[in-house]
Amino acid sequence: MPTRAAVLAAWLVSLAPAPAGQMRSVWDGVYTVEQAQRGAALYQTHCASCHGVALTGAEAAPALTGFEFRSNWSGLPLGELFERLRSSMPPEDPGQVSARDKVDVLAHLLAVGGLPAGPAELARDALAGIRFEATKP
Amino acid sequence: MARRFRLLALVLVPLVWVLVSGDGRLAGQARDSGGEWTTFGGDLASRRYRPFDQINRDTFGDLEIAWRFKTDAFGPRPEFTFQATPLMVGGVVYTTAGTRRDVVALDAATGELLWMHREDEGARGEGAPRRLSGRGVAYWTDGREARIVYVTPGYRMIALDARTGRPVPGFGSGGAVDLKLEMDQPIDLETGEVGLHSALVIAHDVIVVGAAHLPGGAPKSRVNVKGHVRGYDARTGKRLWIFHTIPQAGQPGDDTWERDAASYTGNAGVWTQMTIDEDLGLVYLPVELPTGDYYGGHRPGAGLYGESLVALDLKTGQRKWHFQLVHHGLWDHDVPCAPILADITVDGRLIKAIAQPSKQGWVYVFDRATGEAVWPIEERPVPAGDVPGEWYAPTQPFVTKPPPFELQGVTIDDLIDFTPELRAEAVKLVSRYTLGPLFTPPPVSRWEGPLGLLMVPSSTGGANWPGGALDPETNVLYLYSFRNPSVIGLVHDPSRSDMTYVQGLAADPNAPKPAPGAAAGGAEGGGVALTVQGLPILKPPYGTMTAIDLDRGEIVWQVPHGETPDAVRNHPALKGLDIPRTGRTNGRIGTLVTGSLVIAGEPGFFTMPNGLRGAMLRAYDKATGKEVGAVPMPAPQSGSPMTYMLDGRQYLVVAVSGAGYSGELLAFRAPLPPAAR
Ligand code: HEC
Repeated sequence: MPTRAAVLAAWLVSLAPAPAGQMRSVWDGVYTVEQAQRGAALYQTHCASCHGVALTGAEAAPALTGFEFRSNWSGLPLGELFERLRSSMPPEDPGQVSARDKVDVLAHLLAVGGLPAGPAELARDALAGIRFEATKP
Repeated sequence: MARRFRLLALVLVPLVWVLVSGDGRLAGQARDSGGEWTTFGGDLASRRYRPFDQINRDTFGDLEIAWRFKTDAFGPRPEFTFQATPLMVGGVVYTTAGTRRDVVALDAATGELLWMHREDEGARGEGAPRRLSGRGVAYWTDGREARIVYVTPGYRMIALDARTGRPVPGFGSGGAVDLKLEMDQPIDLETGEVGLHSALVIAHDVIVVGAAHLPGGAPKSRVNVKGHVRGYDARTGKRLWIFHTIPQAGQPGDDTWERDAASYTGNAGVWTQMTIDEDLGLVYLPVELPTGDYYGGHRPGAGLYGESLVALDLKTGQRKWHFQLVHHGLWDHDVPCAPILADITVDGRLIKAIAQPSKQGWVYVFDRATGEAVWPIEERPVPAGDVPGEWYAPTQPFVTKPPPFELQGVTIDDLIDFTPELRAEAVKLVSRYTLGPLFTPPPVSRWEGPLGLLMVPSSTGGANWPGGALDPETNVLYLYSFRNPSVIGLVHDPSRSDMTYVQGLAADPNAPKPAPGAAAGGAEGGGVALTVQGLPILKPPYGTMTAIDLDRGEIVWQVPHGETPDAVRNHPALKGLDIPRTGRTNGRIGTLVTGSLVIAGEPGFFTMPNGLRGAMLRAYDKATGKEVGAVPMPAPQSGSPMTYMLDGRQYLVVAVSGAGYSGELLAFRAPLPPAAR
């Protein structure tokens, strides 16, 4: 018989992380330097006014790099983070930047976060299979 | 057994309530029959307190979900920043919800949707300075009619029939008052930079309305909308009075503005919650600073009523007293939350007091009738900086009691010290920044250093908008705060602003030029993430729950609030170290105090003991700070917890949301005793 707390927890939390072994992580070189550079330019135009040129956030908007950002997204598929910025950013008009371009912006976020670049570009359909991890697994 | 349990609760709870506030001292307009929660702060005194004790140390760990309410559909897209405190009146829960800030009424027993109201404001809403669902609604009744009143993103005040959700025809024009009008200044109805996302307060049939703007680190202009505060008739929506938070020529306080700065400077709004003493007939305004969070060269002078606590006559808007917490602010130390009313006894003397938590780590305590400080607040000299054109206040007020609840200023001793290597790296990292005590002025940013001031508490606190909670039985105040520096530097950037300096960081002169169209120079909050091998630059505790005895002006207990983040627990450099609970480096966390507990959720995700990603709702023994229970939640607390009694059972409701988890209300209740199930 599971305890009441365990039942409650299972019911509440549907977003259990996928088993680590089956997924790549953001530490595996999942984007290219060039892609991140394209993303950087887009970021400066569409995001920096609120999140800061260096992604450190302020009162206007949360940081998109650093300790708390990493901690909060850790364990989730990268697709979740992508979905967040695809559907809601920039707040006044999320359609301003295409979904394709936003994959590049995401690559920029990873680069600023000190995560390694790799040989192949980040692709939208691969996002669900890559885990965001705060620390190197 | 079941019947006895219910009966007992039904009889006891209203009785206890009568004992506590039966003299009506602090009772609100929305007078409450006992089990309800009728205004954002629990009562107009902003105490966030209920004496209920069915949810207690024995039952907390067994809390069950009574209902949950997801807000995704209340707007064109889901919301991830759900900050409301719902109200409960007459068995109905009322709250704002979703990215459009709709209003919903829910059955308080089941969470079933009873009605919803939606205002599509088009471009006016989308371009608003304060978007999303906001902090909640206000309730008003004259005994016959009952209304829900709130402010839309586009800064219109709407009154709804509490029973049906329909706009009240006799209020303003068809149930709406345009708040961009009658503000004693010209404001563009679509693009004028003013809004509000706090919940309104109402007493003696007067609605008090604040004003909020875009964050002010790098305003486009020194000229902005002034954040005047107004009173409105709760029946008709007619404006009753206006209080000029930036005095007009000839009004008291205009001498604290030099060189005509009061004519064009804006902001100085009240973006957070207000508090009312119904018996004294006073409303208390926590005012933010005027235009320019970190540069005041265009607003020389002390600048009343910037960063002041102001007491107004509720009926007329006439100022009774004020106290400026920061003169000519350069640190974004907006007075951030509702002050809390407490009838305290200091050295045998009964004082009707008001306690104002702050971003900068002090609780300021005054006699709320006169504004006189309960313990000395001393004007002490502070250093001037050397930013061209800046005006520096020679002194600032220092609170002598109670002691600060958060670290103020930063020294090498405060840096991460898990290992000597981490400390050494941190020392190297901060060598390019200005370190110093509270009120160290921000410098002009230079690439070779200093890049900026390492400001602790940060621009978001210390304490922030959720404020604290007060136990009127003991006069102990509880509040959450966190510790994480902001980097504040100033840059000259005419492409972004007509101000001589705005917040930003010097760029590396040897770095490649930014792409065309990119923001030049620095940026709001710009800088490098201040982490050492991915770890926070300061040593723990990062997030703290503090209990302050307001009779004695002393801290009773202080515990870390929030589990140690995975990134610390799993960090390779910390293997084998025994690290006590750290709390989190972020979060705006409201507290609730009940018969025996202090209750608050965690501000960030971590891997919970059950292996799932989420955050805990925690309960502490209010006397000792010892944790007595914790419940897993799917996401961090983003609103503030509230509680109510319904049909003999105590409910606990809290808004959660965060990274990858959209807004949801969770309603918990204690399970029935075994025989009753
Ligand atoms: C007008 C200001 C503004 C702009 C421009 C903006 N954002 Fe945001 N962003 C916010 C605010 C405010 C929040 C938090 C409130 C919310 O939930 O929307 C946020 C939240 C986020 C989050 C969630 C962070 C977290 O840890 O939960 C991400 C990711 C994000 N923004 C990415 C972006 C990207 C990428 C862009 C550019 C395409 C962008 N934003 C442009 C204001 C802005």
